[in-house]
Amino acid sequence: PSLPTLCNHLSPPSHPSLSPSPPLPPESKPMSAFHFLRALSQINKSTPKSSLLLRSRRIRQAAYVSMACRAGRSRLWSRALLRRLQRRSRLRYLISQRTRAGIAPKRLKVVRPRSGEPSRAEALRRLVPGGPGMDYCSLLDETAHYIQCLSSQVQLMQKVVGSISCETPQP
Amino acid sequence: MEPTRSSGAGSGNSGTYTPEIAESLRFEEEIQSLMRENTVHPSLEPPPATGGSSFTALLGLPANQAVELLHDPDSGDSPAASGGCEMWRFRLRDPKVMTLPSGCSPTFPSNASLVERAARFSIFAAEDSPEAASVPSHTHSSDHSPKPKAEPPDSDSQPICPIPGERPQRPAKRKEAEKGIKVKGPAKKGRSAEEGSAKVAEDNTGGDKLPYVHVRARRGQATDSHSLAERARRGKINARMKLLQELVPGCSKISGTALVLDEIINHVQSLQRQVELLSMRLAAVNPRIDFSGVDSFLSAECGRVAVGNGRGGVGMEQSAWMEAPAVNGGRRQQQQLQQQQIWHVDSVHPHQMPSVWERDDPSHLFNPGSSLLGYEPANSASLHINQLKTEL
Repeated sequence: PSLPTLCNHLSPPSHPSLSPSPPLPPESKPMSAFHFLRALSQINKSTPKSSLLLRSRRIRQAAYVSMACRAGRSRLWSRALLRRLQRRSRLRYLISQRTRAGIAPKRLKVVRPRSGEPSRAEALRRLVPGGPGMDYCSLLDETAHYIQCLSSQVQLMQKVVGSISCETPQP
Repeated sequence: MEPTRSSGAGSGNSGTYTPEIAESLRFEEEIQSLMRENTVHPSLEPPPATGGSSFTALLGLPANQAVELLHDPDSGDSPAASGGCEMWRFRLRDPKVMTLPSGCSPTFPSNASLVERAARFSIFAAEDSPEAASVPSHTHSSDHSPKPKAEPPDSDSQPICPIPGERPQRPAKRKEAEKGIKVKGPAKKGRSAEEGSAKVAEDNTGGDKLPYVHVRARRGQATDSHSLAERARRGKINARMKLLQELVPGCSKISGTALVLDEIINHVQSLQRQVELLSMRLAAVNPRIDFSGVDSFLSAECGRVAVGNGRGGVGMEQSAWMEAPAVNGGRRQQQQLQQQQIWHVDSVHPHQMPSVWERDDPSHLFNPGSSLLGYEPANSASLHINQLKTEL
């Protein structure tokens, strides 16, 4: 019962805030939402008793993972994000076969303050996943895409929360 | 031979024009005389001799003026002789004077248009242009066109020399057409190359917008390749900053890179905080949701909707968040088992089977699988509905 309405809310992909340049393909929106919803359902089902913190953390990870998956492998930040989550999840075997083949592992990148860029770029690098491994130019590029994906993810989650909280159990 | 003489005579750049005009007049006359010597054909030998001396004299005059001579393409044999066009360039404001290429014959273009343009441009400020125009017209009252001295800055119309063939187009790019004329000479390649590229490269590097003077203060530039690359890079960065400004609400009004960056950082931080907040809300709200039908629905949808989402990513996705808080090695094999079970069921999108996830006890492992098997045929009706939705 709740799910169809949820889908109704989510299927029309409308992101007027996104700039036209590198937008997320609208046809993948329902599917990407489904990934997240699936994760939500799984999390909810499997851990009804766990603490709020644990579940919220899991949901957050699910959000980031679905966002990164939606962005695809062609983006530096999505790759870095997934790599970071892999490391956290310590689930190497399943992922490594796929990812290591596709992703060129980046060695420890230089951390020194780079030249030709403003000092604030360091803070930006810390925020955007994969930041330290990029030059300033691509950092700006990745930041733009990252902002787009983040805002779409936030909108998605807001819709989910909205539709869920709006639901009243049938008397 | 021709000394590069930094002009002692370089009077203040924007200073007195009349003396410069007078000098240029003298210069033109001298060139005219030179030309008359070469009227028959561009003879290489004699002119250089005289030219050298006269050039040195000339060099003394317009020390701070930029003049470039273009060789007339008509004088085709000169390139053969001198190996190219001879080009001299006097820099306005720039004390370093060009060196006349040795061995270059001072063959001047006998092109009326060239001359006119040169006259228009050479050295004179915009305000002086009428004077300049009058001056050259006055001096070149004779239909003799050979005023090589002033090259039209937009020498693109006249590919003067075969060698610097590409150079002439560059001046066209320049906004200040008034300036300089580029003449490329083999000997001057270094400097002219630098200047040419610098001219091409950036119009706004030179701070001053004085119309008459030539150029863009290339003085700050190092070599052309570096500056060009830097310029391109800066252009890219600026374009991306503009894009970011559009993305971030309220950023377009802000001017200045630092503040814009701050705003961007704030925006990213706020978005991440929103994600956290929403995830907490979802966690709080979740128990209220009936997710029983979700598995089947989702799997069915995944099965039906052909989506090229990275399957590997999905698999990663599944494992990643489920394993994030806790890890259990034993579970992996079960996951794999589950996956394979499901793959038999739904061969279309095996990776998207949600049954892979599970957390703690093995009982969960099999429940989703069985539920999947059980639900799929039962929920065909709802699946149709969902199909319609997803096709939006």
